[in-house]
Amino acid sequence: MIEGKLVDLVPFEDDFATYFEQWMNEESWFRARVWERREPHPEDAVKKFIEKMEKNEHGALIGFQTKDGDPIGGVIWDHEWTRVRKVDAILFVGDMRYEGTDEALDGLLMLLRYVFETRGVHRVDAAALAFDEVRIEFYHRAGFSHEGTLRQHVRWDGDYVDLELFGLLEDEWPGYEQITAQLDLQPSGIEPKPKPEKKDEKKNGSGQQPG
Amino acid sequence: MTVLHGLLVDLVPSTAEFGEKMYQFWNNESRMWATMGDYGPISRAQIERIREERAQAVERGYTGVHFMMRARDGQIIGNIGLNWVDYYNRVAYLGSWIGEPDYWSGGHGTDALLLLVEYGLSWLDLRRLALSTMGPNVRAQRNVEKVGFRLEARERQATLVNGAWVDALTYGMLREEWRGRDVLVEELDLRARAEQRYGTGDE
Repeated sequence: MIEGKLVDLVPFEDDFATYFEQWMNEESWFRARVWERREPHPEDAVKKFIEKMEKNEHGALIGFQTKDGDPIGGVIWDHEWTRVRKVDAILFVGDMRYEGTDEALDGLLMLLRYVFETRGVHRVDAAALAFDEVRIEFYHRAGFSHEGTLRQHVRWDGDYVDLELFGLLEDEWPGYEQITAQLDLQPSGIEPKPKPEKKDEKKNGSGQQPG
Repeated sequence: MTVLHGLLVDLVPSTAEFGEKMYQFWNNESRMWATMGDYGPISRAQIERIREERAQAVERGYTGVHFMMRARDGQIIGNIGLNWVDYYNRVAYLGSWIGEPDYWSGGHGTDALLLLVEYGLSWLDLRRLALSTMGPNVRAQRNVEKVGFRLEARERQATLVNGAWVDALTYGMLREEWRGRDVLVEELDLRARAEQRYGTGDE
């Protein structure tokens, strides 16, 4: 666990894996993964995505949750380009009650903290669909600069929409402590949701093949 | 074996012969321009491994389409292609590399680019094409602007070239902005340039 002001980064497993079956099929996932084809993600596809990210040598999927342990969503760093020390950053809010809250913003800040302060990257790339104002506002608050617009780059509900590109450089990142102090993050007061029901689990002899 | 006929170049499939050319191109200064700064000595065995990996990528669902560039005099001078074709969003990213410096600034790259754009729009039914180059590559910027690409993004310090951080520039063109190969061949005087260099301006 890496502890932040309003949220902590945790391994993407247990309750996160359970919630992800729902999250990966909802609007906020497709807004975060801008060029992914709109299609259902059955249980197998969700598991495969988690496994793929676990094996990924140039990226990772990380969960973020409130101080009470309420899972909010995930952050992804990916396509790490070793030579130029660059990564893509993606934030997705699974529990939509947290959309636009300082907890969600803190998820992004914690991702930036991790890639700049632990992984030593030089530059972070981020993208947003032109109409995704909440995400764009987050990028601005986190210190990103808008660097351009790929026109009609993404298919979206019968239309093609612009993709806004953002970048943040290591010498522009003031450090997690400084930026959270500047932004004066405040908890939203959202009640933690009840724990998800566990799927059927073998009570005895886990891992054994039946007779 | 010619897939697309141009005036200064034809776009042809890759053959075994290209392995040796690739070794040559990857070890000269052209690589720095084509890769936005990533270059260094590379052995024949490494080139062979890259070629094998690329062949396997196709089996794993890689959607790129790549051509070799053959100049009017029969020389293989480089390659050009769609590095990533996204049929869902109907977008592709172009990449081009002339490995023979003697053929720079002669119109070969422009001729190849016209063929490739037309191919992407007319055969693959794409509706948008994009490409990236680096700040110092002014020649590439001029070429793609002449063909109708618009500068859409400048990603600051996105690559490292000879010890300096430089910007990556992304250009885009929508299919309705494409003025057609014939118009551009005329406007850019490619027939005359072919005649001047090879004594024939016929396709």
